[in-house]
Amino acid sequence: MAGRRLALKAIDWVAFAERVPPNQKGMFNALKTRSDAISAKLASLPESPVAIDWSYYKSAVAKAGMVDEFEKKFKALKIPEPADMQTSAINAQEAEAEKDAQAYVEASKARIAQYETELDKFKNMIPFDQMTIEDLNNTFPETKLDTVKYPYWPHKPISEL
Amino acid sequence: MLSRLVIVSANALKGSSPLGAGLVQVSRCLHASPQSLSPVAPLPEKGGKVRHGIIPEELFQLLYPKTGVTGPYMLGTGLILYMLSKEIYVINHETFAAASIGAVIIYGIKKFGPSVAAFADKLNEDKVAKAQEVKDSAMTSLTQAIEDEKKEQWRVEGRSMLFDAKRNNVAMLLETNYRERIHMVTNEVKKRLDYQVALQDLQRRMAQEHMVNWVEKNVVSSITPQQEKESIAKCITDLKALAKTTQAKVAV
Repeated sequence: MAGRRLALKAIDWVAFAERVPPNQKGMFNALKTRSDAISAKLASLPESPVAIDWSYYKSAVAKAGMVDEFEKKFKALKIPEPADMQTSAINAQEAEAEKDAQAYVEASKARIAQYETELDKFKNMIPFDQMTIEDLNNTFPETKLDTVKYPYWPHKPISEL
Repeated sequence: MLSRLVIVSANALKGSSPLGAGLVQVSRCLHASPQSLSPVAPLPEKGGKVRHGIIPEELFQLLYPKTGVTGPYMLGTGLILYMLSKEIYVINHETFAAASIGAVIIYGIKKFGPSVAAFADKLNEDKVAKAQEVKDSAMTSLTQAIEDEKKEQWRVEGRSMLFDAKRNNVAMLLETNYRERIHMVTNEVKKRLDYQVALQDLQRRMAQEHMVNWVEKNVVSSITPQQEKESIAKCITDLKALAKTTQAKVAV
C-alpha cells in the first residue's frame, strides 16, 4: 500500500501577496489560511500506515487460518483513490480568467496610449509666455470664447467670469 | 512707438515681405503671406530704449556713423533754434501750459511708473502661473496614471498563481482523504485481530478462575468436623506454649 507521489507545485506566497491589489487582500488572506490549514492537516497524517505485525498475531490467535486469511485479504485489498472532480472546473476558470485578463490588458494599453498622446501634447506645447490667444484656443479648446452665442464682451455669462 | 518699429523692421523686412514696411501696423502680423508658418518670436521684455525719456535711441545710432556722439544734440538744438527764430513755432501762453503739464507728467511717470508696471506684470504673471500649474498637475497626473496602468498589468500577470494554489489545495485534499482511508482500513483490521486475541485471553482467564474457585470449594468442603476439632485443639496448645514463652520473656 505505497503512498502516491504528490505533485504539488511550490507556491511563492510572498510574490503572490505582492501582486494582490489592496481591495482583494481579504480574499487572499482567506485563501492563504485555508491552504495553510489543508497543508497542516496533510502533514499531520503519516504517509504510509502503521504496519501490522502478522507473526505476532499468527502466534497469538488460536483459531487456525484466521490470521492467514486476514493477511491474504489485507494484502490483496486496493483502496480506491478519491475521484478528482474540481481540477477541470479550475482549469475552466483559469481559461476564462485568461480571456478576461487579455481583454483587461488590451483596454489598459488603449488607456495608456491615450494618456501618452495627452502627455505628448503637454510636452510639445509652446510655453505660455510665447502663446497668443489663438494658440491658447488651439491647445485648450475649452478656452475659446463663443462669439456667436455671446456676441458682446466678455463673450461668456457673467457667472463664469 | 510705431515709427520706431518701422525703423527696426525696415532692415528686417527688406525684400522679405511683398507689401513693404509702411503697412506694418501690429507686431504680430509680420507674416502676412500664408506660406510662412514658423512660430512668432516672443514679445520683447522691455520697451524700446529711449534717451531723455522721449527720443528713441535708434536716432542716435542712426546718426552716430556720420556725426558722432554730439550729432543728434546738435541737430536737435539747431532745429529748435530754427523754429523759434523763424517763428515757425510761436511762443505763447500754451507753451507755458505745455511745459508745466509736461513736467508734471514726467514727474508722475518717473515716480510711479515702475510700481504700476510691476503691478501689471504681476497680473500677467498670475495668469501664466495658474496656467502653468494646470499644465504641471495635468502632466504629473498623466504620468502617475500611466504608472498605475503598468502596475495593474503587472498584477494581472500573476493570475496563474491563484489557480496553482487552488489546484494544490485540491490535490492536498485528495491525498489527505486517501491517507485517511488507508489508515482507517489498517486500524479496523488491527482492531479485529486484537479483539480475537483479547477474546482468547478472556476465555483462558475465566477458565483459570473457575478452576481455582472449584478447587478451593472442594478443599473447604472436604474438611470434616473431626479434622476441624483436631486442628482447633492443636492451635490452642500451640497458642498456650507461645503464651508461656512470651510471659517468660516479659518476666525476665
